[in-house]
Amino acid sequence: MKNGHGKLLELLEKSGASLHTLLTRLTLREDVAEELIQELFIRLTNSNELDKVENLGAYARKAAINLAFDWRRSQKRNALGLDRLNEPASNDNSPLAKLVQREELQKILNAIEQINTPAREVFVMRYIQQESYDDIAKQLGKTAHQARALCSRSLSHLRNILGSNKSGPSGKEIQNVED
Amino acid sequence: MSKIDENEILRRLKLLSQIEPASEATDRTMERVRNTLMGKEKGREDSGTRVRQFPKRPIAKFAAAAVLLIALGYVIGRLTTPVPDMEQLQSALESSLRASLTKEMDQRWQRAFTANCIKFKDELQQQVRRDLTEFASKTLAASNTLTEQHLIQLVDLIEAARERDRQQVAAALEEIELNRLQDKSQIGSGLVALAARTSKLRDKKPN
Repeated sequence: MKNGHGKLLELLEKSGASLHTLLTRLTLREDVAEELIQELFIRLTNSNELDKVENLGAYARKAAINLAFDWRRSQKRNALGLDRLNEPASNDNSPLAKLVQREELQKILNAIEQINTPAREVFVMRYIQQESYDDIAKQLGKTAHQARALCSRSLSHLRNILGSNKSGPSGKEIQNVED
Repeated sequence: MSKIDENEILRRLKLLSQIEPASEATDRTMERVRNTLMGKEKGREDSGTRVRQFPKRPIAKFAAAAVLLIALGYVIGRLTTPVPDMEQLQSALESSLRASLTKEMDQRWQRAFTANCIKFKDELQQQVRRDLTEFASKTLAASNTLTEQHLIQLVDLIEAARERDRQQVAAALEEIELNRLQDKSQIGSGLVALAARTSKLRDKKPN
């Protein structure tokens, strides 16, 4: 068990900051990210299967993504719709502009929530963590081609969810991500 | 939901990927998690040094520890001193039990608080939103009622003014009619007087 504790401390030092960043991006709230990462490590500490896990970083990241989307699901009732605001009232950093932008990001995250779990993990790693397909493939034990296919399918799913299935002028979904 | 094309989706994903927590927040979080992990490990080590035959329930461990301590104290007391100082023994036992219980309870509370903190925050947030929504709807209803009352008062005032105008017009018409009748009678009597004088003048002329 002490070995498990050592592993967790190592994981915290190695991946704690990136997990915190990931949770902040998925929840859009630093305070919630702080609580969720705390909860994540408590769960990992209490887990009996920690010794069986081969890639603890990947396991923790997957658990963090699930935790974040569980939290989002619990928050759904409180969503305040800003659908009526079709365009921002101003281009500055006013509270209203921030609110509208936040609402836009919430919509995307709510749509990502509806993607099935394995594809969602790949999608989050690719588009929110900006990782390359090769890295994703290496971490998840898949081929880069499989990761790319999963992302493409998830993006198509997102377009369906968000009400438009038209491809943009860019065509290829990889253009937005820096490899 | 408004239509969002792929470019817009990618733009928003890009925005999401650019979100970075403040470095102070990350440091604070790391420190907090580190402390929690250390605290849990220490608690585990402490519990690991106790009697291993009773690992299932903490209450059983405490009971066993208490029994052992009492027995040990009794035996030591019997062997070392002719008259055992029961008060001292009791106070030592009490302080020992209190210390271990306090520590265990603190750890439990901390764990429970950590696990439930986010839940409490969310519940509080939901409660505040519900209250605000309720307050807004009540304020709106009260405002509507007040506006309606003011409108009713305004209509009453307009109606009263119109009534007053009508009465004044009727009084004026009546006054005009009275004046007309008075003028008519005066003109009539004037004409009679004129006729009488004309007749008198005609009678006088032949002379």
